[in-house]
Formats: sequence, structure tokens, C-alpha cells
Amino acid sequence: MTAVPIPDAFEARTNATFEALMSALSRPGTLHPLPTPGMAGIAEALVDRECRVYTDDPTLAATIANFGAALVPVAEADHCFASHPTPGILAQVAVGSALYPDAGATVIITATHGTGQRLRLTGPGIETYTDVILGGVADIWPQRAQNRYPAGFDLFLICGGQVMGLPRSTQIEVL
Amino acid sequence: MTIAALTKAWQPMSYGFLDPSAKRELRRKMLKAIAVPGCQMPYASREVPMARGWGTGGLQVTLTLLKPQSVVKVIDQGADDSVNAASIRSFLSKVSGAAETWDTLAATIIQSRHRIPEERLRADQVLVLQVPNPEPLRPVEPNMSIARQMHADADYGRLWLILYEQMVRAGRIMEGAAYPALVNGRHVMTPSPIPRWDVPKLHMAQHLTFLSAGREKRLYAVPPFTRVEPLVFSDVPYQVEDHGGLTCHRSGVTGYFMNEIPQDVGSVFELSDSHLGIKAIRLSQAEGGVEGAADQIGPTWYENGVMP
Repeated sequence: MTAVPIPDAFEARTNATFEALMSALSRPGTLHPLPTPGMAGIAEALVDRECRVYTDDPTLAATIANFGAALVPVAEADHCFASHPTPGILAQVAVGSALYPDAGATVIITATHGTGQRLRLTGPGIETYTDVILGGVADIWPQRAQNRYPAGFDLFLICGGQVMGLPRSTQIEVL
Repeated sequence: MTIAALTKAWQPMSYGFLDPSAKRELRRKMLKAIAVPGCQMPYASREVPMARGWGTGGLQVTLTLLKPQSVVKVIDQGADDSVNAASIRSFLSKVSGAAETWDTLAATIIQSRHRIPEERLRADQVLVLQVPNPEPLRPVEPNMSIARQMHADADYGRLWLILYEQMVRAGRIMEGAAYPALVNGRHVMTPSPIPRWDVPKLHMAQHLTFLSAGREKRLYAVPPFTRVEPLVFSDVPYQVEDHGGLTCHRSGVTGYFMNEIPQDVGSVFELSDSHLGIKAIRLSQAEGGVEGAADQIGPTWYENGVMP
């Protein structure tokens, strides 16, 4: 093999998507541009036949089924793609346990940045604290605070073409 | 749906060596590792063209991150030119088209065996440490299932007992490398066998660190701005190696971690971070009028042998 390998469009896209997700999760409260807006791009980078996925969007469900993932109820899913989850839905999300923290789900939801609730974030990835203003999300924060670390779920918020990460290690105070 | 929609065209090799399903699995686990700092996440650990125990864990994480714009630096005990480091670096570049570098400042991904470079890493850099034994509890609890339960309970008393026994027997803590450290106040991790000198570099750092053990099939992470506190007693402070006063016999630089080279009489010392030494020598030659030195030494973690 002498030729320099060139990534195809799929590889380049999923690599860039993962880089955005990784940066977003390691620096909670900051926005990172996604190469393709929307949830399908994230599903493409993370989900395959080893995953159990919940989604409330029938179009996305068809796409994810193509990747080989099983479509399951929210309580059994390791990845939840929910456009506008109610606190009731999030109460059922798998949070893992202190013994198996990796069994906590990855939850991807949509939000709007700049209007709505003011949240103060502290924890790993944040030097002191960060204030973010998030709208379009139900008041899921008291529900999320019930989880006892290291059990919990990791949240990605899609704000237009950008993504924000809120790992379970982040403490969220509603101001 | 057609067969063509579900399959891909034939390729001689997947970009970045690992196939897409291996990368997706690593991505999922790397996200979980970031979300629970210091907690070991199991992963499948695919075969790579290198024997287990030679950095396959770090290699898989780096391969997942690589893109053609990446610039990789690989070090082995601080040296860029050892056989292991040079082979891994050329492999990474061959399968991804990424650029190779020796310069810490130029790198975007730094894969390392047992050292963290002396120059401060920036927020846009990722450090990947190769880990031989990821389990800090192994010396006190060889049973993996019980060790997992101890992590779940944050039951780390026996690690302090080891340190206490060393204090009693030797008068000081003898833990040389892989000093256990509490991450984010919750999980104790072994920071891979980096010297005590390097552990404070992970505390509230700018950069993201992945630690990956290929043979043991576990990876964990230290996100930026995360507390990493070595286990100590309140009356016995953490001590790094006493290298602050040593001078490199090749570059004349003082105040960094040194390799000791025994001589017939006594020893001499040289910088463990070999490229820092190379840059220092080139810069001193440039001052003496020799051409071709465009090097720059970035801000370092330690200044005059102490960490501010």
C-alpha cells in the first residue's frame, strides 16, 4: 500500500460528527458545529447493530433501522433520539448503576439556545461555572438531578446546526 | 430498499485501519468515558497489527480520532525516536495520511507511553496514554468483580493502606509510577505508569486525556478542567521526583524530568522529553549564529523545577 488513504464522505462526516460530540461532552455548555444538522448524522456516527435505540420520529426510525439497530421502548434503549421529550419519557431512560455506569443511556434532544431557562453548569470540563440559556426543553432538570452519580444519562442538545453536551457529571442549577 | 443502499463499494482498506463498526463502538465508549471521568469503560479492543501490550489501546483510540488534517506525535518514555514510538507514528500516518511531528506544539493528537510532554498542552490537543494495567485496585483485590463493586462503593481504603505500609516500612511513599489518583472526587484511576512528576499535569488541565488499555480492554478519560488528586495523607504531602535541580548534560536545560545515565563514576542526566532537549540545543546554536533554527519552546508545566 503506497497511496495515501483518503477518507470517503461517510468516514469524513462521521469523524467530524464524533469530534463535535467529543468536544461538546468534554466542555459542557459550549456549542460545537455539526457537519450535518439534525439527529440522523449523530445516529450515523454512533449507532449500529449492537445498539438498542428509542426514537419518537418515524422518519428517523426508518433510517436507524437501516443501520441495523433494534428499535425498542425507551426504558430498554441505550440511545434515545427524542425531539421534544417530556419529563415522563426522561424518567424512564436507562441510567445504569454505580456498578455499571456505562449502561446509562445517551439521550439526544432538540433545544434552542439563547431563550428560555437560565442554567448554571459546574463540574468536569468547566473551569468555574458556565451559564447557558436553553429553551424548547421541558423542565427535565429536577428529574435529572434525581440520578445518583455515577448513574445517570448523558444529554446532547441539538441547537440548529450545533450541539451542546451535558454529561451526567455536570451539576445543573436552574437560576 | 436495495442491496446497494445497504452495502458499500469495495475498498482495499478501511480509512484509519479500523473498520467503521469498530470505530462506532470506540466512539460510544469514549463518550461514556468522558461522561464519567476516571471510570473504566469496557470495550471490544480489536486486533491491530501490533502485539497486545505494545500500545494497542492507545493505538485504537488514536485511529478513531485520526483524519487527514491531524498531526500526530508519538512518544515512548519521552522519546520520539525510539523504535516503538517511530513505528506507531509511521503506521498512524500511513493508514490515515496524517502528518507526523516531534514537536509538542505542532501536534493535534499526542499518543504517549508513560510520559506527558513538558510543554503545556492546549485545549485543541488530545493526549492518548497507553495503559498496561488500568485497575488501581489490582494490587489489593485481584478479583475483577469484587474490584468493580469496590469502585461502585468508592471503597478505596485499602489503597491508602498500601501507602501507609510503605510509609511504615520505608519512611516514605515508594509508589514511583502509576500513582493512584482520585478523579472528580469519585473514581480512583491509575494514570498509566507516568512518573509522579506528570500526575499534577492532569489536574485542571486544558486538554482532554484518554487512557486506553488494549490488552485489558478498558478505556477511561480525564476531561479538561477535572480534579485529579493523588491519594495522600493530610500530614504527608504529595511529592514529585526531586529533579528540579538536575541539569541535562546535552542541552544544559535545568528543571525538568530527567533520565539518569549511570557512568563509571556517578551518573549524568538528560532530558526525558527528548524533543524539548533538541529544541533547546537548536535554540542555543541559533544564538551562537548557526542557521536553521525556527524552533519555539512553549510554556511548560514546571517552571524552574516547580509547578506553580
